[in-house]
Amino acid sequence: MSLALKPGELAVIAGPNGSGKTTLLEALAGLSRLTVGERQYGAAEHPDDWLANSHYLGHKLGNKANLTCAENLAFVAQMNQVTCPQQDIEAALEQAGLAGHEYQHASDLSAGQKKRLALSRLLLLGKTYWLLDEPFVNLDHAGCDWLYAIIECHVQQGGAVLLSAHDQQRIHDLADHHITLQPI
Amino acid sequence: MQFWSLMKRDVLVAWRKKSNLYQPLVFQLLIVTMFPLGLGAGAQTLSKIAPAVVWILALLSTLITLENIFKDDYEDGSLDVYVLSGMSLSLAALSKATAHWITTGIPVVLFAPVIGMLLHLPGHAYGILMLSLLLATPIFSLLGTVGSALIMNIKNGGMLLSVLVMPLLAPVLIFGAGAVLETTLGNTAMNHLLLLLGCTVLSVTLAPLAAAAAVRINLE
Amino acid sequence: MNRIIKFYHECGSPPSFYRITGHWLRPMFWLALTLSIYGLIDGLFLAPEDYQQGDSYRIIFVHVPAAWMSLFIYAIIGIAGIMTFVWRMKVAEAVMMASVPIGALFTAVTLLTGMLWGKPMWGTYWDWDARMTSELILLFLYIGVFGIYAAYDEDPRKAARLASLVAIIGLVNLPIIRYSVEWWTSIHQGSSISLMEGSTGIRDWDMLRPLLVMALATKFYFIYSMLSRARIYLLRTEKQKQWVQKAVLGAQPSGGAS
Repeated sequence: MSLALKPGELAVIAGPNGSGKTTLLEALAGLSRLTVGERQYGAAEHPDDWLANSHYLGHKLGNKANLTCAENLAFVAQMNQVTCPQQDIEAALEQAGLAGHEYQHASDLSAGQKKRLALSRLLLLGKTYWLLDEPFVNLDHAGCDWLYAIIECHVQQGGAVLLSAHDQQRIHDLADHHITLQPI
Repeated sequence: MQFWSLMKRDVLVAWRKKSNLYQPLVFQLLIVTMFPLGLGAGAQTLSKIAPAVVWILALLSTLITLENIFKDDYEDGSLDVYVLSGMSLSLAALSKATAHWITTGIPVVLFAPVIGMLLHLPGHAYGILMLSLLLATPIFSLLGTVGSALIMNIKNGGMLLSVLVMPLLAPVLIFGAGAVLETTLGNTAMNHLLLLLGCTVLSVTLAPLAAAAAVRINLE
Repeated sequence: MNRIIKFYHECGSPPSFYRITGHWLRPMFWLALTLSIYGLIDGLFLAPEDYQQGDSYRIIFVHVPAAWMSLFIYAIIGIAGIMTFVWRMKVAEAVMMASVPIGALFTAVTLLTGMLWGKPMWGTYWDWDARMTSELILLFLYIGVFGIYAAYDEDPRKAARLASLVAIIGLVNLPIIRYSVEWWTSIHQGSSISLMEGSTGIRDWDMLRPLLVMALATKFYFIYSMLSRARIYLLRTEKQKQWVQKAVLGAQPSGGAS
């Protein structure tokens, strides 16, 4: 299989459990190694360009339980070498529906709020390529609507999104590319 | 920059979870109480074994804290954040080792005189005791990152971690406890300390590479 | 030279490794068996008595070859570990993991025979002598390599790569450990008699010969045992590949006939 994802496009990976959606996304993100095939991005001599322009969000959200929401976001921004003042962080949290939770520990959030906190990173970092593994899981209706909105907005502004989902007809209607994986 | 951010976060996380900070010290106090109870409280007997016991307690109390250095990050996914940030993994390992040393190593060094006092360690040995631990605790933390990176995927990896790190720590114990012992006997500890310094330098250079390799393999 | 390179490349692919080593097993086994029978008879009955230790020194015909093997096999594991780690060679992986239990066994035998020898020599089974101590730590290194592999049993390739990393770390540390332990005994025990120094009469050819024969026998035993384990390792980890099915199904009729 092959996929050319250009800025301004949305691709959806579908497939039953165990078909390797997560494995594929992790390998594309650069977390693990692609055992077969390859990922091409930009000039081959700068493999770090891909890491600098993409953000991956997996099942494990990467929030530190005993850091506050704001601290979690600040850490991610610092690691990605994005300078962001406090008001940017607050704005991102507010967009994610977490206004007022800035100084709350991530462990005190509900499952859906934890997901929102992780997703709000995408707004803060401003990377072109988003790789999202099952982003709709744990989100309520309002959360899903919000996520659709930011994905659409991101794609319209020249970003590209690759995500895996099941049982989300709406995302398939929006998508430019459909990939279906079959378990071996 | 990334080095400092990661280190700062790790120190903050450890600081928020206070039990991490005092657990090694409580452990040392608990065990050191057992020596007089088992050996008899004779000051001579105790002061004879004091150099070795203080050192072994410092080592064991650090050992119980090593497992989570990488494991916590692996389990909550924040490992992905810095792996995908493009930061060199060896640098990340060095940064985590530094944070672990600050939150565990320094308290252990500062607490060692208390344990020494409880065991009647001769007065002139305290300086060398703290100096030797100051050189050795970074080794504990660095080898700990390697061990923790190796077992981060394993459920009850604590025992395995001890098996993996213990042979590597044997020379450190020989040089470190030896230095204190020589001082109590009235000899110079210079040779021991220089060899210990050699171990420190070696682990600063090699351990981050090994830890980075272990993280990579675990993510594959 | 070209033939050696070709041979090397052939050994790198599991099917040809499996095919080629299949021919080696039987000769290696018989060599090991004959040599050790000869060596044991020669060493335990024919070699002259030691003028200092009497008959008790004869345990060196087991102890010393086993001690040599315990280090030699760790070196093999380290080299195979580097090949596994750097080139992801499957055969090196098999050789490494196949060598671990054999090396651990030789280390245990060394420790055990050393203890048995220590009783008449030192009057105690265990003494913290430099060689015994570093041999014991060597056993921990073996256990570590094996332990990490066993802990990841659901993914043998990842397990083998982690084990190779542990083996390499151990290889770097082995000289440091041995040096530090020797230094440690030299300081704390002054002039403790080491097992080897005690047996000064070993320069006698009649004593040296069985020792060398036993050293060879243990090498052949290692090759035999390691290869059979490595072959099984390859069959198990490559079981979904076609060559395995061919090798196993193809071997069955001929295996039944012979």
